[in-house]
Amino acid sequence: MVIKVLAFAGSPRRHGNSETLLDWVLEEMEKQPGVEVEKHALTDINIAPCKGCNACEKLNACVQKDDLVWVEPKIIEADIIILSAPIFCMGIAAQPKALIDRAQVFRSRKYVLKLPVVPPDRKGKRIGIFLASAGQDWDYVFDAAVPSVKCLFHVIDIKNKDIRNLMVNNVDEKGAINDHPTAEADAVALADEVIATMREMKGERL
Amino acid sequence: MNALGISGSPRKGGNTETLLDAFLTGAEEAGAEIRKVILRDLEFTSCKGCNACHKTGRCVLKDDLTPLFEEILAADILALASPIYSMSITAELKALIDRGQVYWARKFILKDLYFEYEHIKRHKGFFISTAGQNWDHVFDGAYPVVTAFFNDIGFEYTDNIIANNMDEYKGIKGHPTALEDAKKRGRKVVGELERIDREN
Repeated sequence: MVIKVLAFAGSPRRHGNSETLLDWVLEEMEKQPGVEVEKHALTDINIAPCKGCNACEKLNACVQKDDLVWVEPKIIEADIIILSAPIFCMGIAAQPKALIDRAQVFRSRKYVLKLPVVPPDRKGKRIGIFLASAGQDWDYVFDAAVPSVKCLFHVIDIKNKDIRNLMVNNVDEKGAINDHPTAEADAVALADEVIATMREMKGERL
Repeated sequence: MNALGISGSPRKGGNTETLLDAFLTGAEEAGAEIRKVILRDLEFTSCKGCNACHKTGRCVLKDDLTPLFEEILAADILALASPIYSMSITAELKALIDRGQVYWARKFILKDLYFEYEHIKRHKGFFISTAGQNWDHVFDGAYPVVTAFFNDIGFEYTDNIIANNMDEYKGIKGHPTALEDAKKRGRKVVGELERIDREN
């Protein structure tokens, strides 16, 4: 059985702390049989901010024909969706916020047009992971970002119980996460737990 | 005295921009010079996270936000306006705020920028927002971000001018008090600044 993992590195900085956290998770997942990983850095693809035109409430599609056109079906096909992002100014960075806001097309599908977002047999069999890094050492530094990320996962039919957060504070300069005492081990453990849970969700015999 | 309003809404003449207009009109009626900037009309990119400003105190990006930041720092009253999308401000306004990193770096890393208490009390920052949802907590994700920005640029975070439940009211014009309250708040802040100036 194939487990499809779709990951977005949301940081404007390539290979920085939040992306390193993502790579640790993806490397661990890829070691396991049947796991297919696809990763995109948001700096390499073009997803513009939502125009707030609300056309998707009628069209069931976004009028902006940028890279969301091919990303949208991939979000639906994936079993595990991962977003990594740094915290800037107490919130999620602007680029991943643009991706989150463009998920409005799914919100319209689900709540306005009352159409299924994923096929009924795949409901409740998807997991969302939010990986974040922050320079500040305050433990509340992630509080404002989490509700936005939840919005993304909720509109693509991932419930709270199937959302995982791994958020590492007090890492600012590039590479700082490598010196963090538990971040890598936490990332590996999360990857193992999520793949095991996904196999259960899919009814796979271990 | 000048009041600068920055609209981070992608939608022209929408609920948030209309609420911002009411606030600016009030400030103008009380004697302030007003100006509105619409981020959607500007060309700019968001912060690259390169941290170059941590060493140089300057942003490597040169675009329409470069002169806008000069205007922001020269304003007496600053109103940041954004609708709530996905429990926070829009990506456009977030991009502006993230670019404020250079002021954070100057204050806390380079320590070549410091705002006296008197300066902060005399620079009034407002957050103007609307949300479709009727939840009271729908603005909660925006406040820490706005707080961070006003802190970086030496403004007092004076007040929120917010109205939720836009979906139910069928827009800001259907709201019983929001527009009039915003106008009053715009008038009042000009009076507050005049009093501070008289006392000094």
